[in-house]
Amino acid sequence: MTLQEQIRSNRIRSGMLVLTFGLVFVAIGAAVQALYGGYALIIIAGIAFIYALYSWFANGRMIASWTGAREVTKEEYPELVRAVENASIAAGLEQTPQVRVVDDPCPNAFAAGGSPKTAYVAATTGLLAMMKKRELEAVIAHEIGHVRNRDVRLMSLAAVLVGVVALVADLALRFAFFGGGRRRDGNNPILMIVGLAMLILAPIAAIGIQMSLSRRREYLADESSAEITGDPEGLAMALWKLKQDTTELRHANRATAHLYIETPLNNARGMRAAMSGLFDTHPSLDARIESLEKMGGFRLAALDGEQPQLA
Amino acid sequence: MPVFAYVIIAVVVLAALWVVFVFNHLVRLGNEAKRGWSNIDVQLKRRSDLIPNLVEAVKGYAAHERQVFEEVTAARVAMQQATGPAQAGEANKQASAALGRLFAVSEAYPQLRASENFQKLQDELTDTEDKIAAARRYYNQTVYQYNTRIQSLPDLIVAKLGGFHEREFFELESPAEGQLPNVDFSGDPASQ
Repeated sequence: MTLQEQIRSNRIRSGMLVLTFGLVFVAIGAAVQALYGGYALIIIAGIAFIYALYSWFANGRMIASWTGAREVTKEEYPELVRAVENASIAAGLEQTPQVRVVDDPCPNAFAAGGSPKTAYVAATTGLLAMMKKRELEAVIAHEIGHVRNRDVRLMSLAAVLVGVVALVADLALRFAFFGGGRRRDGNNPILMIVGLAMLILAPIAAIGIQMSLSRRREYLADESSAEITGDPEGLAMALWKLKQDTTELRHANRATAHLYIETPLNNARGMRAAMSGLFDTHPSLDARIESLEKMGGFRLAALDGEQPQLA
Repeated sequence: MPVFAYVIIAVVVLAALWVVFVFNHLVRLGNEAKRGWSNIDVQLKRRSDLIPNLVEAVKGYAAHERQVFEEVTAARVAMQQATGPAQAGEANKQASAALGRLFAVSEAYPQLRASENFQKLQDELTDTEDKIAAARRYYNQTVYQYNTRIQSLPDLIVAKLGGFHEREFFELESPAEGQLPNVDFSGDPASQ
């Protein structure tokens, strides 16, 4: 596939994602209707339609408020803004995306928004403190790669839609177990079981979609970064540093996890740790470093005097 | 009409469609290259605009370093008179060398290095150079793609008929530089 084909395929997938989301909501609506009756189906489908429409245009702003990414000026963060400007020029973008910063000591970065014109790149203050110029440029180029490959709209939509599916299904389930006072007599038990099953399956399906979108795109964006900066070593060093870091992002949540350059859900425990391999939104950093080493023909461990160091 | 007439018409129509398709593609690539060049051009202009200010700033502390000032000014004139990417590239290299010497000279003047104005200019110049490097990467890649297309069959035919000409590279350091690395969008490099 060429870049053009990738862009086209991302566009189609964005449409399909919204459609799938609609179907999932019709299913949830049907399930709720089976459980409680009334006009649940129409009401839920209607709300879902409005929400989908809204998120098509406003996903960038929604994610910014969820993650606490605020707009910054060149005066405040000259190095970051320059890194974004330079990567945009080298990637051939017609416009430099907006730059945002998240006040968080955990190093991470993401890109969100719609078209390259409305997209933005966000970095945490922790990332800015940790990375040298060369590494920062590589990380930013990874995010600009997402913008250029038109991943951002698809991934942002997935974030806002997946989040709400999980939320609504969760609410409906709680209601079914604890608050369901309006159950009609003579309800079909099979319908009710199917309804419950749907409410349980919907968020799992949503997460499945999210995962299928992000894993391969991370490798791709790593390659794009190397292409944009011509410096796969810089990105490998940056990823190595991210690997050493164990702090957890404060605003991290399941819905936006796949947007980040590295998974923000670090300290997984219990169930989540056991399932982590299964539900990872990102390939392992080791695998990504290895793939960069292959591409650039170097070994991170053998880089002379340029080995990454934690400050 | 006999069957072969239909065949001929079909072939002619398909050939015409193909020509239109290739032509449009070449126009698009050419426009991308133009846009890439204008990115470089903007930064080159910014660089040559910064030079007089820098020379003034250094003169305030090291007026007798005349030779270096002359070199820098000559390089600036060359930048402004250059036509086309290849010449502009040469002039820009000359400017880099001259500016390198200017900064080397300024090392000997601590007061100059401490001055806010000088630091700001130096910072601006570094940013300009980074941006020239970034724009150069994109431009050379685009030109490489464009030139390859119009040099090879079958696009060569359309390019000759349509008057497409090869474009010059800007500061191409190695022949491999213009080439895109093989980014494969179809699969996962690691097994999953």
